[in-house]
Amino acid sequence: MPILELHDVSKSFDGFQALADASFDVEPGELHALLGENGAGKSSLMNIAAGLYRPDKGYIRVAGRDVAIDGPLTAKKLGIGMVHQHYKLVKGFNAIENILLAAGASNYRPGLAEVERSVREHCETMGFSVDLKRPVGALSVAEQQRVEILKVLVNGARIIILDEPSAVLTDSEATALLKVMRTLAAKGAAVVLITHKLGEVKAFADRVTIMRGGRTVTTADPKSSSLADLTAKIIGQAVCETRHPAKAIGRPVLRLQGITGSRADGHRTLHGVDLTLHGGELYGIAGVGGNGQPELAEILMGVNKPTSGTIEFTGAGDISRSGPADRRKLGLACIPADRATYGLAGDLSICENYIVTGVRNGAFGPWSRVDWRSATASTKNAVDAFEVLGVRSARQKASLLSGGNAQKLVIARELASPPRIVVAHSPSRGLDARATSEVRRRLLEARDGGAAVLLISEDLDEIMLMSDRIGVMTRGRIVQEFEAPADRQLLGKAMVHHD
Amino acid sequence: MNIGMERKEPSASQPPRRGVRIPGLLLEVRQHAPVWFQTIVLLCGVSVGLGLSFLILMAAGVPADGLVLEFKNIFSNTTNISALLTQLAPLLIVGLSAAVAFRVRFWNIGIEGQMILGSIAATAIAINDVGPEQWRLPLMMIVAAIGGMAWIIVPALLRIRFGVNEIISTLLLNYVAVNLLLHLLYGAWRDPQSNFPNSEQYGPAERLAQLGWESLTYALPLALLLTAFCWWLFSVSRFGFYTRVVNSNPKMAGAMGIQVVAVTLGAALLSGALAGIAGFTISAGVEYRLTQSFFLGYGFSGILIAFLARNNMIGAILVSLLVATFFIASQSLQVFYQVPGSIVQLIQAVIVISVAGFEFFNRFRVRLAR
Repeated sequence: MPILELHDVSKSFDGFQALADASFDVEPGELHALLGENGAGKSSLMNIAAGLYRPDKGYIRVAGRDVAIDGPLTAKKLGIGMVHQHYKLVKGFNAIENILLAAGASNYRPGLAEVERSVREHCETMGFSVDLKRPVGALSVAEQQRVEILKVLVNGARIIILDEPSAVLTDSEATALLKVMRTLAAKGAAVVLITHKLGEVKAFADRVTIMRGGRTVTTADPKSSSLADLTAKIIGQAVCETRHPAKAIGRPVLRLQGITGSRADGHRTLHGVDLTLHGGELYGIAGVGGNGQPELAEILMGVNKPTSGTIEFTGAGDISRSGPADRRKLGLACIPADRATYGLAGDLSICENYIVTGVRNGAFGPWSRVDWRSATASTKNAVDAFEVLGVRSARQKASLLSGGNAQKLVIARELASPPRIVVAHSPSRGLDARATSEVRRRLLEARDGGAAVLLISEDLDEIMLMSDRIGVMTRGRIVQEFEAPADRQLLGKAMVHHD
Repeated sequence: MNIGMERKEPSASQPPRRGVRIPGLLLEVRQHAPVWFQTIVLLCGVSVGLGLSFLILMAAGVPADGLVLEFKNIFSNTTNISALLTQLAPLLIVGLSAAVAFRVRFWNIGIEGQMILGSIAATAIAINDVGPEQWRLPLMMIVAAIGGMAWIIVPALLRIRFGVNEIISTLLLNYVAVNLLLHLLYGAWRDPQSNFPNSEQYGPAERLAQLGWESLTYALPLALLLTAFCWWLFSVSRFGFYTRVVNSNPKMAGAMGIQVVAVTLGAALLSGALAGIAGFTISAGVEYRLTQSFFLGYGFSGILIAFLARNNMIGAILVSLLVATFFIASQSLQVFYQVPGSIVQLIQAVIVISVAGFEFFNRFRVRLAR
């Protein structure tokens, strides 16, 4: 018998129908995947189960009983625990304090020592290693996620919902996590896995429910369904990915020599990066996360300065000391990994976000006046051309766009005028299959237009699919370069090779 | 974001078959409230605040009919209207000063200190008769602006360079400015004729000229001109666009090549300059000398005006008019009913709290759960 059932649930936000008669159930002892594109309604549906949203229509049953989940506390009492995509942790507290905090005021009596004992027990049974004493803000993303999972488990959840847990993890971390989830399921817990990675579903799920446009389309056994079949159900059409090698590789455009750099906390993460980018070429940087990729991207964007080394821009000399304004004037475009930080201003309208770079170039009126009419018109053109969906008006806030569409908006802006260099850091992270292939197509178009494209990604498949040349980054260095098509085994070896 | 924070009501008689219908109110987060709606919410907030203030005044012993009469009087004769408009000018300018700084998230609490420095600078020009007489007044205004900027540039640089909280630094510099003012007025600048602790009177060339209608001076056109300038700068020009980006996401602004430091510093300096000019309009337009207390209440009023006007320069005119009415009303209430003058600040505070409370309706849509 299912332990959690959601029947014909509908939910709209300010006129936008996020869920339309969606139904879902999960049984104890199973790992049930909830699969769908960005904005299909997966998170909304589970947020209803977790008590964050209240349904407009429909009903919920837990263990066969009708329940009214009117808040996260009620959900917790019913044994429902959710690990959200954006972690709900107090950065200055350590793991134990966060877990106690989440237990609710009525459960503070046992105190930290008791919670710590319980947390350690859970860690041991699951083979988790987490530093329980450091503030969670200082932990890695994977560790923070483990704290979230522990929080849910220690508070006695029988129904565990994970919202895109692997989006922030490396392949091996993700596999380890999903194995733990299988163990939990084997012990009788009901695990719901929200994801858009078909591979995970095939490898780990007992059942899969597919969502599209706020509706639950089908529930199937992933073992007996083919990948193509599942894909077709997710997007209504199959996506086929083939390599498109560069046709004409031009002269060197950018040469990095001995770039060293450190994180904001002073930790040195780059130990002499050397690489050369050519026009019309896509250079992929492969590597396990945390080997200096974000720092390299920030140095290239110009928001951070390297501690030493030079960045030679053909025709402009060393630009390692110049700021983003000068670099953009030379034709640098950036697609940052963290859209919310470097890519978009959420409070501002789609139009304002789109025209930022254009206004600086004087494309939208002189310094004394921003020409909103032409700004709105070109925003509309770009939104259409780059297929940014969910735009009701150019004056709508950018924060209302879903992940994939926000990314398309960033790309539309960055490629608005033909760039000479594109730095793209994990451009398809968190995007669904269709948005991913569109993003990749844009990057290849930029390359074929003569730009040098630097793709930094932790997704090895993406690197192998896209790159003309591949550099493997390990411990703040490019340790080895490969001509594409490269051998996956050799790449993998280089990625884990330590001096 | 917690959307399910609806109020529970005792009527727990929910239909069992229909499942999750929770009684009471349902709150939905608004993604965007239309401007007309925001305006109505704002007006409701102000009205409720005013209503509460009236109740407080009545509790303080002012009869209701007297109170109504008081406000009627302000708008009933030209002398009072002119007094109101005279009061409006400096209030509008400090409102702009606050709004300009808040547009780049620079929390300038030091408006009073900057006003003092502005007036000190202008007075230095006036009592030392610097420059030819026909240029005296413009010169006074320019040095007043520079004085205000001088008082804000230190907190601005500290914040930009070292991350020092400008709320604290600008606030504390107010006290430094007050003591500097008292030092001058009890020392070198004490009026030699009356021996009172204020500066000697400005000469005729050092006073803002009258417009020729009642006692109104050129301070009002100056304030309106500055409003138009600020509106253009922040709503039309490219600089204004940059401030919006910096306000929303400074890191993104930096990555886009906007000079975040320059934009922030520019807006902060303009804020200081406006505060300095506000001081100048009081000293050269109303009091005709430097006094010990000309700035009192303006800092908070400026913040209030910017807050109620949502940092909108044109909206600041209307809000300033409202605040000016309080100032004028309080003067006669003091005389006729012995209500303390600080009642203005009380009314302002009540209105701020009320408007902030009504903000709830901009953020949530309240529906009856079926």
